[in-house]
Amino acid sequence: MNFRSFASLAAAFCATPREESSSARGWSSIPAWQDYHVAGTHVTCAPTNTNHARKVRRLTHLPLVILLIAAFCAAPRAAAQAPQSLGLDPAVLLNPPTDTWPTYNGDYTGRRYSTLDQINQKNIASLTLAWAFSTRGLNLKSTPLEVSGILYFSSPDHVWAVDARLGREIWHYETKTEGGKIGHRGVAMWKDYLYFETGDAHLVSLNAKDGKERWTIELADAKLGYFATMAPLVIRDHVLAGVSGDSTDIRGLLRSIDPETGAIQWTWYVDPDPGAPGSETWPKDPEAMLHGGGMTWMTGTYDPALNLVYWGTGNPNPVMVGDLRPGDNLYTCSIVALNPDTGKLVWYFQPSPHDVHDWDAVQTPILIDGEFRGKPRKLLAQASRNGFFVVLDRITGEHLLTSPFIETTWSKGIDERGRPIADPQANPTPAGSLAAPGSDGATNWMSPSFSLQTNLFYVNAHRLFSIYYRTVDGKVEGWGGRDQNLWGNSTLRALDYKTGKVVWNHEIGEGEAFTGMMTTAGHLLFGGDTTGNLLALDPATGKTLWHLNLGGNITSSPMTYQLDGRQYVVVAVHDHFYAFSLPPTAIKSGK
Amino acid sequence: MAKSKWLWLTTIVVLVLSSFAHAVRAQDDDDDPDRQPVVKAADQGPDAARGQKIFQQNCGVCHANDATGGRGPDLVRSPVVAHDVKGDLIGDVIRKGRPDKGMPPMSLTASEIADVSAFLHARVKEGLQSARVPKVYDLQRLLIGNADAGKAYFEGAGGCTSCHSVTGDLAGVAKKYTPIDLQARILYPEKLFKNTKTDATVALPSGEQVHGHVIHQDEFAVGLIDSTGWYRSFDRARIKVEFNNRLAAHRDQLFKLSQDQVHDLFAYIQTLK
Repeated sequence: MNFRSFASLAAAFCATPREESSSARGWSSIPAWQDYHVAGTHVTCAPTNTNHARKVRRLTHLPLVILLIAAFCAAPRAAAQAPQSLGLDPAVLLNPPTDTWPTYNGDYTGRRYSTLDQINQKNIASLTLAWAFSTRGLNLKSTPLEVSGILYFSSPDHVWAVDARLGREIWHYETKTEGGKIGHRGVAMWKDYLYFETGDAHLVSLNAKDGKERWTIELADAKLGYFATMAPLVIRDHVLAGVSGDSTDIRGLLRSIDPETGAIQWTWYVDPDPGAPGSETWPKDPEAMLHGGGMTWMTGTYDPALNLVYWGTGNPNPVMVGDLRPGDNLYTCSIVALNPDTGKLVWYFQPSPHDVHDWDAVQTPILIDGEFRGKPRKLLAQASRNGFFVVLDRITGEHLLTSPFIETTWSKGIDERGRPIADPQANPTPAGSLAAPGSDGATNWMSPSFSLQTNLFYVNAHRLFSIYYRTVDGKVEGWGGRDQNLWGNSTLRALDYKTGKVVWNHEIGEGEAFTGMMTTAGHLLFGGDTTGNLLALDPATGKTLWHLNLGGNITSSPMTYQLDGRQYVVVAVHDHFYAFSLPPTAIKSGK
Repeated sequence: MAKSKWLWLTTIVVLVLSSFAHAVRAQDDDDDPDRQPVVKAADQGPDAARGQKIFQQNCGVCHANDATGGRGPDLVRSPVVAHDVKGDLIGDVIRKGRPDKGMPPMSLTASEIADVSAFLHARVKEGLQSARVPKVYDLQRLLIGNADAGKAYFEGAGGCTSCHSVTGDLAGVAKKYTPIDLQARILYPEKLFKNTKTDATVALPSGEQVHGHVIHQDEFAVGLIDSTGWYRSFDRARIKVEFNNRLAAHRDQLFKLSQDQVHDLFAYIQTLK
């Protein structure tokens, strides 16, 4: 290191703000304003105070100078280089630290279980509002990402970056499309870039610093009826992006996109090619199959050790009428395991064969490592929209358990492969068929959770009765009918994954609750009810520990992070995000 | 004011208020786009109506009269139709045919092509609209049950007569709703996901009892309109409350009714005109 470097280093040190150091950036702790004596050069930093009483150290203090020189040499070169990026290294997704929520479900397991325990059962009574953020009328169903102190979240055709500590907007991106606006789950991040799916089924890459578009590619033809609502999933150098739709009869798919260039790396079609495995579950004439639906609505989960990505697929088309698609209709309403590098199908399980009720099987397939019948196993569990809880071996797809998690009336039992057997009496008919659940499902897109403290699986479950009508005769295009909701109520349930038994049940009122759930190591479960309350429950018993009327029902799945020793829990109510934490005075410093 | 003037005033006020109430109820459903009937292609406009005839004459033999395909592909699902704007792409295919697929070229005029295109776009729209339960629905499609069996159930196993009377509260009920809405209301007679039919009796620590109509209920509190018409709320940790949900019997039946019972009940109740 030469003299010039020393001088510029010293100047840089003096110029750097003296707030708390960020170990994430590799800066070592910097002392307050000082004079530095460097190898014969006297460098004085402009003091922030008027204390001129400090003596300038002279060459006589050589040992100290040598020490300082050695320290400067050893110090990271960061001061002379550009500061490190606040972007996301994809490796962080493998084991996110508590100051980061880098993907839709928080991590690859889908458990939505946080190891944060600053907020816990002992202090939950003093939980307070840290900040609120308003989109001024745009509904929020999105789980924000939090990376390097910035939240990134979305609404159909909108993306925001917001300061995670202060709740203040950094930038706001908007595009205008004609496509589906039923909701939007969020964005994905890779290095300095964000990935966002649009109403016209495009994938847009934004620069995370300023929200500017880098490129946009077509995931599917919006004119055919595709749109997109999901938060993509980043695995190494793949951005996995799925599609939505089902008002027209189109082929479901999942694509892997190059995060730098937007090039399509592979595509997996939910409806097989003619003659390919699975095609035997459709009529011989491939027309039905190639218009067979199976949208990939929600973000999947991933096991890095097995290198398998798990994804749920949606219902077949035409939605309410299955006459012209006899057969199980693979791989619609299925949980599939794919190789993320090639997009090849490794195994599948189908919770709703030959569905005619719109019961997508896209609910988060949570990864559980635990005992099953006395042996440690790698498991996958889904509380499916059709009202059944399914547990599989996630290495092989072997079926282990199927059990109802809420009252339904559509099924006559479970077959030898673990699939619920549909009672044809519950199928849509011209005169109407009464069945539970309705098309909205016994659960839907709201997040389930699995706690590593209780080993319980949590689901927001609905009892929902509808009358299903087939309104179209002849060849059906699109839905061919619809159900009319009659009555419903909601409950938060804890399931034992080993048996499917309901361990506890916490009723949350009339109507359909769309709150997601999240558990933390503070022995807390966050959720909501149907009358606008945010709830903190004891995850072991379901007992209510704290609540607050937020003025509207929770519309998102909760997330949490800790920055500067302060834990935040964030939920959305319609067009507002609310961040909760303990009062600052109650938080110990340096935690 | 003279007695007759009071009478006039009262009558006018009552008429105005009741018409207002009717208007409010109508707004709830009549304007709801999701309850509108599917408009058949030929009814979507004169061009689509003409187009249907031209299509049937020229194209139906291969594509079926409703364009859902036969020897030729299903055009309702066609990407060409999906991308077409006022016949630009469809016209191309009609004029040139698809020789490699066995479709001959057709010499339709520009106006005929425009009409055929309008018909095809209208068919696509029909498909999109099919995701509805329309408010108006052919009664004959619903009438598959046995009214006598419905009456027997109503008076017997259903237990309906413990709350209802066909000559009392249910007299003329079938005139008040469209058949499809009547069927829904027989099963559960309430606005979706609201419950306006629950009363409560609250016992305060003092021994005072408050009785009222519930307008808010969660695990923490009850809010009700008491017998004087004023709103009062209570912390459930401090009081005892008993609820009387007058819709409970309807809700409970949903878990037990067979499809036959549903249709038999409808067949019976829809006679109450």
